Amino acid sequence: MRELSMHILDLAQNSIAAGASLIEIDVIADTVADTLAICIQDNGSGMSSEYARRVLDPFTTTRTTRRVGMGIPMFAQAARECEGDIEITTEKGLGTKIEAKFKLSHIDRAPLGDVATTLMTLIAANPDIDILYKQACDGREFVLDTREIKSQLDGVSINENAVLKWIVQYISEGLQTAAAIP
Amino acid sequence: MKLEIVAQKLNLKQINEIAQVEVSSGYASDLLSDVLARAKNGALWVTNHKHTNIIGVAVMLNLAGVIIAGGVEPDAGTVEKAKEEKISLFTTDLTLYEVVGRMYELGIRGCC
Repeated sequence: MRELSMHILDLAQNSIAAGASLIEIDVIADTVADTLAICIQDNGSGMSSEYARRVLDPFTTTRTTRRVGMGIPMFAQAARECEGDIEITTEKGLGTKIEAKFKLSHIDRAPLGDVATTLMTLIAANPDIDILYKQACDGREFVLDTREIKSQLDGVSINENAVLKWIVQYISEGLQTAAAIP
Repeated sequence: MKLEIVAQKLNLKQINEIAQVEVSSGYASDLLSDVLARAKNGALWVTNHKHTNIIGVAVMLNLAGVIIAGGVEPDAGTVEKAKEEKISLFTTDLTLYEVVGRMYELGIRGCC
């Protein structure tokens, strides 16, 4: 995919399909170690170890409308093309954690892309699911926690237009000032 | 144009059995998400990738076949899946640019 945020959106949608109520997304850059780690962790239904072993194969999918699933295989390929790799930790009933590492400066590494709009899209379509997004670069950090936002909203739904607009702006500004990734 | 005629004219190296299908159009890209979004059913796709994911894309879109350009050999898993899924797979020493140019000369056009 053209931007890593598209992979994040895709994997978060897997989490939602797995019945997750909380999705934690970490994007951690380290310019000294020259690494970019993207981790998506959920408390959804998880996978059996047998299924998890096959999940990097595009011919593994829970979809019933077609036989092919490209989400995780494409994410794995993106990481491996950048001298990185992917690791999947999961347990049936407990959730799934997918962590990909990239060489930060690798020429084939896709840019992170528009995280603010990606998160807004997720929140708008899934107001009942909580998202904890953390982005850090060399220790500088930006955190967005929808549980915190909801507690301040006093009954107003988080997917009201005005709230979503504010969220996009808050994330864009926060990322630029606190944790921009090169 | 029939796939096997295209393969013959471009002197492609055949990896598995060639399906008896018509090539309806051509597509070239190494961004799988772009291929998924824009290549059409029946297209012959030219790529530099050798990963199993290319067969996943070909099955999803019901492509006529896949050409791996640039003298790149497919991964063992890719060959196995191509056989299993009956997706005609080819390699060539020609670069992606050169393959696409020759396909165009044969009258194969893009799909959009």
